[in-house]
Amino acid sequence: MKRFLVLAAAAHLFGAMAMAQSYTPPRTSDGKPDLQGIWQVLNTANWDLQPHSGSYNVPAGPGVVEGDQIPYLPSALAKKQENLKNRATADPLTKCFMAGVPRTMYLPYPFQILQTPQAVVVVSEYVHSWRYVPLYNLPHIDGYEAWMGDSRGRWDGNTLVVETIGLNDETWFDNAGDYHSDALKVTERFTRTAADVIDYEATIDDSKVFSRPWKIKMQLHRRTDLTRVLENECYLNAEAARRGGNSK
Amino acid sequence: MITTLFLGALLLAQDFTPPRTPDGKPDMQGYWNNQAGTAPWDIEPHPASFQVPAGPGIIVDPPDKKIPYTAAALAKRNDVRDNHAFDDPQAHCAPSGVPRQTYTPFGFQFVQPPGYFVILYEAEHVHRVVRMDGSPHMPASMKFWSGDSVGHWEGDTLVVDSANFNGGTWLDMAGNYTSENLHVIEKYTLTDKDTIRYEATIEDPSLYTRPWTMQFNLRRNSQKDYYILEFACHEGERDLQHYTEDTGKK
Repeated sequence: MKRFLVLAAAAHLFGAMAMAQSYTPPRTSDGKPDLQGIWQVLNTANWDLQPHSGSYNVPAGPGVVEGDQIPYLPSALAKKQENLKNRATADPLTKCFMAGVPRTMYLPYPFQILQTPQAVVVVSEYVHSWRYVPLYNLPHIDGYEAWMGDSRGRWDGNTLVVETIGLNDETWFDNAGDYHSDALKVTERFTRTAADVIDYEATIDDSKVFSRPWKIKMQLHRRTDLTRVLENECYLNAEAARRGGNSK
Repeated sequence: MITTLFLGALLLAQDFTPPRTPDGKPDMQGYWNNQAGTAPWDIEPHPASFQVPAGPGIIVDPPDKKIPYTAAALAKRNDVRDNHAFDDPQAHCAPSGVPRQTYTPFGFQFVQPPGYFVILYEAEHVHRVVRMDGSPHMPASMKFWSGDSVGHWEGDTLVVDSANFNGGTWLDMAGNYTSENLHVIEKYTLTDKDTIRYEATIEDPSLYTRPWTMQFNLRRNSQKDYYILEFACHEGERDLQHYTEDTGKK
């Protein structure tokens, strides 16, 4: 029996490896994996990265955190609980603010990836934010801080690796109040594993809030029904709704 | 003499061969700033006024350099300008739209991945992804602050056709408003490695008696290690209540 399990596990592992190896991503003209297209997650990470039950306006989900739990420092947990309690009004997204990194990648809105040999560009439907990710050596501006941070990218085999610093401390990771400081560094990995799937990982490193780096993993799915990223002008829509009209 | 000058200009223009992208199109990638002068305040010729510098405008057709409004549309423009200046969508951090996005006091970047011409604007962190694949505009019922842009190359000139506007944008701070019928045709032509001639022809039979055209140059920002920093207009906005009807002030 034991031997059977080992064999089964080995076969399973081998099968997974074979599957992963059997997919070769198409290439751009400069020979890099082509990640271009319009993508969106199919999960509830935007509401809560950790495993959670459904609640009012929150769909249930199994979570996307490796090991399930976010390793908060004991001193940092109280703020998360306070954020959670006030999520209906305190989540920066309820004010239509930019989502930050990595949250912008798992909103319930699509985004488009575009590539040149020099850069990767991500343009989003939600509040028309964009990320320009240079693939060349471009010095960071000392002290620069932004809602969407300051990203640099590189290729690691078939994987696009994007490192982002310069993030302010005003964004949340999700609607459950998971937060960070301005010491946050995010390392994202994009690997196309099928024609319409990108495996997406983000490692969160923020020693002011967490006891160790931690990782989220999910898949991006191609939105084959879209020919362009549309507009969601959140705050203009909110302003218009207050006046009882549409967005203008 | 005039003929000689004209020929000389032609020769100069022909002398310049733009660099090419891998797919053979003129390479306009990089960072750009407009040379539109005082157009952000008023695209028509205007004298100086309180906090507004005088300017010759950017309209090249019609020859009087004024927007060829219908009588009714001109009356509305004057009312908007004189009585509703705080309704300027820019004051609400709205996307500036086309073509106004090109003559904000902020820079922008061109990126040319295959099949698209991408413009990343600093102002309100707006993006435009111009489809270059010949696809049609979105269904007319879909409206956008930034419109829907499709493009093609005419020789070495990029031609961008934009429609599907929501009628919410203005053309400047002088009350020149737009409608949902706005149709803009932009032309971008590299005239030397650091200069693009920009031209936008604007059509809207519900507002204008004829199409009209603006023109100015874009100049390359070649500052070493420059990149566009984030302009978080809405997030930084702490004064929005002063611009809304909620406080009774329009």
